[in-house]
Amino acid sequence: MSSVWIVGAGMTKFGKHVDQSVVDLGAEAVLAAIADAGIDPRRIEAAYCGHVFQGMVAGQRVLAQTGLAGIPLTNVEDACSSGAVAVREAALSIRAGEHDVVLAFGMEHLTARFRGALTPAEDDLETAVGLTMPAIYAMRARAHMQEFGTTRRQLALISVKNKRNASLNPFAQFQTTVTVDEVINARPIADPLCLYDCSPVSDGAAAVILVSDRARRTITRTALRLAATALRTGEVDRGLSTMAVEPITQRTARAAYEQAGIGPEEVDLAEVHDCFSIAEVLRVEALGLFPIGDYPARVERGDADIGGMLPVNPSGGLLGKGHPLGATGVAQMVELVRQLRGEAGQRQVAGARVGLAHCRGGKAAGVEGAACTVNILAA
Amino acid sequence: MAEPASTAAPMVPLQPGIFVDDASGVPRLAGTRCRTCGTYYFPRRQVCAQCLGTDTETVPLSERGVLYTYTVVYQSTPEFRTPYLLGYVDLPEGVRVLAPLADLAVDDVRAGMPLRLVVEPVRTDAQGRVVLGYRLHRAQPDETRPEETPPA
Repeated sequence: MSSVWIVGAGMTKFGKHVDQSVVDLGAEAVLAAIADAGIDPRRIEAAYCGHVFQGMVAGQRVLAQTGLAGIPLTNVEDACSSGAVAVREAALSIRAGEHDVVLAFGMEHLTARFRGALTPAEDDLETAVGLTMPAIYAMRARAHMQEFGTTRRQLALISVKNKRNASLNPFAQFQTTVTVDEVINARPIADPLCLYDCSPVSDGAAAVILVSDRARRTITRTALRLAATALRTGEVDRGLSTMAVEPITQRTARAAYEQAGIGPEEVDLAEVHDCFSIAEVLRVEALGLFPIGDYPARVERGDADIGGMLPVNPSGGLLGKGHPLGATGVAQMVELVRQLRGEAGQRQVAGARVGLAHCRGGKAAGVEGAACTVNILAA
Repeated sequence: MAEPASTAAPMVPLQPGIFVDDASGVPRLAGTRCRTCGTYYFPRRQVCAQCLGTDTETVPLSERGVLYTYTVVYQSTPEFRTPYLLGYVDLPEGVRVLAPLADLAVDDVRAGMPLRLVVEPVRTDAQGRVVLGYRLHRAQPDETRPEETPPA
């Protein structure tokens, strides 16, 4: 079975793009990734596109703009994990021996469709009684506070950190920092979470080029090894378990570490799904990167800063860089590529060799999340 | 508790199949019980996720529970008037149900407080039909009925 290597990465700036369609954004990211890899586009044998709300055959419309039309393409929908699953499907097609050079991309134009809080699926029972995505994380924040003594100020510090990191990333939606007081006193969204505890409504796209061992030998660009790609779905709720921990991420992480043959202590930086400030806590702890219940205090000490013990979301994460759903999981890989190549500029994590990307998407009544991914990239 | 007097307006459930009448003909939230291993589910499931048994039954769920966690929603979709209280209540069957908290101010709400899950009209839809939903209410202090426990 061939190893899988990433040889090209590109993305659009995330933000509000009133003058560009989702197809424009997708094409910009795809062309950037091809240029970054330095390959002839005719070598791309297949493509996988992650998106949630972009309608029928969105991926094919991007191929038509980029000279790639004709190759096999699969559109992937797994809520906020869609892009990460597109990367995984591309990798599996290489492992299976079906393809040698594959494109994975993700995209979303949300500002044209939504304002404010997103919800789970429209016909889900919990949506029908008033659940929003901020509301579920607000309730989990309260559970974490109750169980581990996490404070409002500690949660705010996560938004402060990620927006500071975003201010060092020219592709991030936000280029300005916020203070703890600004986070705590911002407009309430779902108590205790306020505006800056929530990832924004974003437009954007990201793309990567994956290749087999055989194709890698013909490419001069630095190749980074996809050491693991794991996917799990949420289990059906049975009994009354705590909402302050996250079994779906724990199970996915175990599978990824086993595949990579490493443990969490070997990870040099992590891009985790911080759709809300509390979400970063739940995920970092479930990934085993910091002990359960301990992460908020460690953030307070600076352990998760760029230059800290284990930098978390150096790109700015979803809170700072933005969260165009389908693009998110691919953009995390773009950041890992930049970091492991030493091309991350002011936000460079010194000596980074192993990077981990985590997404968790979706919610349905009586199920613990919908889709969770962990992708590990190694220099 | 008697069934509400019939009204002129037709009634529809918030979603199909979420209610079932209890022994006295009162609509309750419908759960699933696995006859093989006894595990309860809400919403209903066709196959038991615990033992993969397919011998399951639809059962009315208890109306008394304990609040696990809650929030005040300040920003929502256009169908909902904000702010509103929303919480997860734990029922004695071992299922957790999300519902709006009615008749309660945020300062009166505490995790761990007993609440009553009441099936009741929640709004009128575009066709003028009364929508039957469910909400959490303060447990009455004079309720002397012992805590309901599910059959073993």
